[in-house]
Amino acid sequence: MPRGLVPVVVFAIVGLLLAQTGSEVPEGFDIGLTDWMQDRYKWTVLNDDHWMFTRFFHPIGDALGSTYDFVLWVLRALRWPGVLAAAAAIGARTGGWKAAVAGSMLLFGCGVIADWDNTMITLALMIVAVVVSLLIGLPLGIWSARNVQVESILRSVLDTAQVMPVYVYLMPIVVFFGIQAPAVIVATVIFAVPPAVRITNLGLRSVPVVTEEVGRSFGSTRGQLLRKVQLPMARPTILLGLNQVIMMAFGVVVIAALVGSGGLGQDVLTGLQKIDVGKSFAPGLALVFAAIALDRISTGQRTVSVRRRFSMPTWWERPRVALTVLFGAVIGVGVAATLLGADTFPESFTVDISQSVSDAAKWVTDHLATGVPVVGGTKSISDFFLLNFLNPMQEAFIDAAWWVVVLVIAAIGWASGGWRLGVLCGGCFVAIASLGIAADRESVWDKAMITLAQVLVVVAVSVVIALPLGLAAGRSDRLNRFLRPVLDTAQALPQFAYIVPVLFLFPPGRTPGIFASIIYAVPPCIRLTSLGLREVPVGPREAATSFGATPRQEMMRVQIPLALRSVMLGINQTVLMALSMVIIAALVGAGGLGLEAVFGLTKKQVGRGLTGGLAIVLLAIVLDRVTQAWGRDRQRSAADRHR
Amino acid sequence: MTTGIAVDGLWKVFGPKGERLVGSPDADRPRRELEADTGCVVAMRDIRFAVSPGEVFVVMGLSGSGKSTLVRCLTRLIEPTAGTISIGDIDVTAADTDALLELRRHRVSMVFQHFGLLPHRTLVDNVGFGLELRGVDKSERRQAAERVLELVGLGGMGQSKPDQLSGGQQQRVGLARALATDPDVMLFDEPFSALDPLIRRDMQDEVCRLHADVGKTMVFITHDLAEALRLGDRIAIMRDGRFVQVGTPEEVVGSPADDYVRNFVRDVPRSHVISVGAIMAPHSPGDYVTTVVSTTKVRDVVGHVASSDLPVQVVDESGVPVGSVDRLAVLEVIAGDDIHEIRAAASS
Repeated sequence: MPRGLVPVVVFAIVGLLLAQTGSEVPEGFDIGLTDWMQDRYKWTVLNDDHWMFTRFFHPIGDALGSTYDFVLWVLRALRWPGVLAAAAAIGARTGGWKAAVAGSMLLFGCGVIADWDNTMITLALMIVAVVVSLLIGLPLGIWSARNVQVESILRSVLDTAQVMPVYVYLMPIVVFFGIQAPAVIVATVIFAVPPAVRITNLGLRSVPVVTEEVGRSFGSTRGQLLRKVQLPMARPTILLGLNQVIMMAFGVVVIAALVGSGGLGQDVLTGLQKIDVGKSFAPGLALVFAAIALDRISTGQRTVSVRRRFSMPTWWERPRVALTVLFGAVIGVGVAATLLGADTFPESFTVDISQSVSDAAKWVTDHLATGVPVVGGTKSISDFFLLNFLNPMQEAFIDAAWWVVVLVIAAIGWASGGWRLGVLCGGCFVAIASLGIAADRESVWDKAMITLAQVLVVVAVSVVIALPLGLAAGRSDRLNRFLRPVLDTAQALPQFAYIVPVLFLFPPGRTPGIFASIIYAVPPCIRLTSLGLREVPVGPREAATSFGATPRQEMMRVQIPLALRSVMLGINQTVLMALSMVIIAALVGAGGLGLEAVFGLTKKQVGRGLTGGLAIVLLAIVLDRVTQAWGRDRQRSAADRHR
Repeated sequence: MTTGIAVDGLWKVFGPKGERLVGSPDADRPRRELEADTGCVVAMRDIRFAVSPGEVFVVMGLSGSGKSTLVRCLTRLIEPTAGTISIGDIDVTAADTDALLELRRHRVSMVFQHFGLLPHRTLVDNVGFGLELRGVDKSERRQAAERVLELVGLGGMGQSKPDQLSGGQQQRVGLARALATDPDVMLFDEPFSALDPLIRRDMQDEVCRLHADVGKTMVFITHDLAEALRLGDRIAIMRDGRFVQVGTPEEVVGSPADDYVRNFVRDVPRSHVISVGAIMAPHSPGDYVTTVVSTTKVRDVVGHVASSDLPVQVVDESGVPVGSVDRLAVLEVIAGDDIHEIRAAASS
């Protein structure tokens, strides 16, 4: 039998078998996971004196809780001037006066536009979460850099963890840690540890072999090698990792507020759930400020030259003296503030922007929703988009017999990455089908199809926008210079920051979620595309030109083929980012699996939440593996051709 | 104190269960075939040599010949598969972790091909690195580092960072770092191959000068024959993991052990390497244009035999006549391979 026929025959047989079940997912498929997990949850509630809780989860939770309480107590005891002074002191130490000013001014801004005490609650959560993430992530990263086996185990764990959107973790965490601060910290830590491990490992492994040999040849012990050679050389990379850890942590705040963390995240969430732009805007902005402040004062990067230009007094060069002086100054400010009675952030400084933001939003809705010349207005765009793109796609997915969808997915998997991937994709979708009925009598399958349609639309639109921009930015230095700060900022903002502005423009429902996801997903795709083009070595390009290739030929035949891997990685990132927005989109009415997760979290329907989360993970695995396979496959065939 | 090195029966086989290949006939099979069958690569086979105290021993070979593996095995940066190494009175192959650290910290230091400077440290801290590992306190090692930097011509630049230096200057730092620990033995792993030819020459002069000043035992790895001839008291030519010839520059150029070596040394200006002592005819009384000692290089008598028909008289170190060199003998050396044609033309 010719090789090409094998897939056809296999698919025909499997298709015939599955077709016997009818076009809807048969009832017998329901494995009853939702109820089973709900029962398990009840068991944990009733049996919280089980040794698993008293010996393991409760101690961890208590330790995190009391650390958090302590940090919050310190922040409150310092009073607001003391906190600002502390931010300035740390910033000055790590990155010079620029970081000091940026850190304290941004925190001050939080107090001006949002509630100071809520800012402190969020800050305390984040500080504890980031420190714990580093305490776990750095040693793991070091260990995996020194041990190939550990690396390969950790890598597969981290790869899976990275595909999973954060809300998937929340549900089991609530089961084990309850609600309140410890659960939020654990969720944040789980989300922020992977980049810490990954980047520490990467940084250590990218230390050139020769410097390690130098260390060994002069008689370093393993410890000396790590302390004196590897860690210092990996420092820039690890600092970059710290930046990512902080951003990741702040990205989780709003979602984590679903389990009741309090703080700014809670304020944003309340606003979002009421679709009140004004209410969610100010705390959202304050969160962004706080994130950037923490980032600036902790990493202190990009300031080396500054430090050289402005000479510091001599005591500054002596760490112990400088630290003592700064510590004393911070305490002094705190004590002075307490004595002067500056207990709360002065009301005369605060500006309530929620009303004006609401007014602005109302104005936009009144004036831009319909009847704008040419474009027609935001509501018209939204309706057009829904009617012409999303609805047909969604209906097509739901109306199609379920086994057809499974077969198509399996076929795509097979074509992308061989029969193993085909089986994995088909298997994941069959598993989704077996998850049964969601709460509102719709099947989980139908919800998954709604989410799948939305994610695919987001990815398609994002790629259509991002690829040309990325290609152009890869070719034109001027465009690249213009885009880079925009992309840098976009990357530094947490997810929720995208949804609030979109709410200005579009009526609640599926559109704002989708547009926010697109805005969120486009930057990494542009960045990776242009990076890919720019990383193509000069040699082959020069060679092509010297053989008389036109710029166009050179781009089509040399640059783009060589950059394909990076471009495909960009598409893969787009998919992951679109998936990670599913729950935030659900908060403003996107429906689908995200809604299941939100419902499960807010209404303590743990079974439903876990089922919804599991379905999202299965979707994520399929989409991630398929898009990853595209990048790999191209690479391999290119390598084969070279041989 | 100066120290010699003795290496005996040294093997390095990369790959699973490499030790079973040591001394087996399999080890002589072609590299590609062996790798396909066993997954092993024999990088070094049965290497033996001795370096006397204060000698400069050059190992020359093309890339893949095993020379870098060899120099790394000397301090067990790479573990040898079989054989013994001793440096001075230390049995390196039997040394435990502590003894090995002691050896690397006090007795041996190494200069690397790509410099291997630590970019996050100033020059002073780079040079003081070995002393720091040893536990020398800060002010003392800074002083020592400044002193050594002075020695290699980088005095006063101690607070710079490596990326502010040119390639040649960076390798001077590498050299200073190796000198700073005041080792008995210095190992050089193709230290100058990344440098421009003119700077490379400068650095070679620098090594010659340092060797004259401090008199360390040196093992120098290179793929550049001219460098090997300039620096080496003795040269080992390495190919496919074994030494094909070990000898003084004169021996290697004057009587290559096989076609491989002959090919290598073909383009070397032989008159620069070979001394009159190696080509002289037996002493006989008569008239001479001048008198030279037997270690004089052939090129230095070209002027004499060109200006006169008389031969040059050769004497040993104590001034006793030992032989003579005539114009034809000099031309033979200069003409190299075409020697028979010259003889034929001269006799006809």
